[in-house]
Amino acid sequence: MTSKNKSLLIGGLIIALILGVLSPFIASTNPDGLDASAEHLNPAIMDNPGYWHAPFDNYQVKLLGDGPLAGIAALVIGVLIALGFVYVVTEILKRRSKIDN
Amino acid sequence: MHIPDGFIPLWQCAIYWTIAIVALIFAFRWGREKLDEKSIPLMAVLAAGIFAIMSMNIPIPFGSSGHMVGAAMVAIIFMSPWAAVIVIALVLMIQGIFFGDGGITTMGANIINMGICGGFVGYYGWKTLYKPKMSADGVLKGTGILGKHKWWSIGIASWVAIFLAAVLASVEMWLAGTFPLALGLLYMGGFHAMIGIFEAIITVIVISTLEKVRPDLLAWNNLKPTQTDNTETEPTEAVAK
Repeated sequence: MTSKNKSLLIGGLIIALILGVLSPFIASTNPDGLDASAEHLNPAIMDNPGYWHAPFDNYQVKLLGDGPLAGIAALVIGVLIALGFVYVVTEILKRRSKIDN
Repeated sequence: MHIPDGFIPLWQCAIYWTIAIVALIFAFRWGREKLDEKSIPLMAVLAAGIFAIMSMNIPIPFGSSGHMVGAAMVAIIFMSPWAAVIVIALVLMIQGIFFGDGGITTMGANIINMGICGGFVGYYGWKTLYKPKMSADGVLKGTGILGKHKWWSIGIASWVAIFLAAVLASVEMWLAGTFPLALGLLYMGGFHAMIGIFEAIITVIVISTLEKVRPDLLAWNNLKPTQTDNTETEPTEAVAK
């Protein structure tokens, strides 16, 4: 990887982490557009328990309690997973292209 | 806009999943042909940023909130809606599996709304408005109806992308019997028309920053004079020959 691309990766990661750390403090707790629509149009459907229990449900690391730290930790984990997952998948795609050629 | 489990009957979820998987196959095929050393870190960084900013709901009037999606932004940066399908689908998978944001059964519908609709509407909306064309002397010009207003064309296309994604979601809710059509369109369209302003502003800020800092990362700066797109590989190869 060139130094320019390394800087892009590190710089982008830092910006994403800053957004993740700030998010629990500045994000609105109001329901999002879909949930707000459901609350008006079909409130009963909001009680549906779902089929899957996510390990960091509602962007919280439950082991860390209910404070902002639980939210920050979940978002830092998420940012790192997103970066790593997309990097690995796209790298595999690029390598497959080389093998095909 | 993440549809949770239980909002759509399973048989309809299966249809949406099938469409999403077919789109992902096409997107991965595009990725195999187009991804290179510099686009991989860019895609990874955009995914991390989109994940973080999707968690940051901003308040909008009438007691609701909303977040950016970023599909139009990715599609415009790479000049291909398939790039948006890859990034948004992978981010939605992480959000659904690890964070419970959006359902597992409804993930196909979410990929269609935010990734496919967002990416295609954002990209082709921008392309129609701006119509980028590289002149023989290497100067990029807009030849569309907003050809002199690159940033306005990006902002408007981003707004339309999130608005139409919300409209599509409300049609799916109607087909599922979850929302009535007219009121669903009114609420979802109304809320996301406001959220779209935030989407447009952030998209313009991110792309204009890239233009200043790393213009080589924007696909439009790498267009060849006869090329208008980064979606197909054939025109580029034809030029090379």
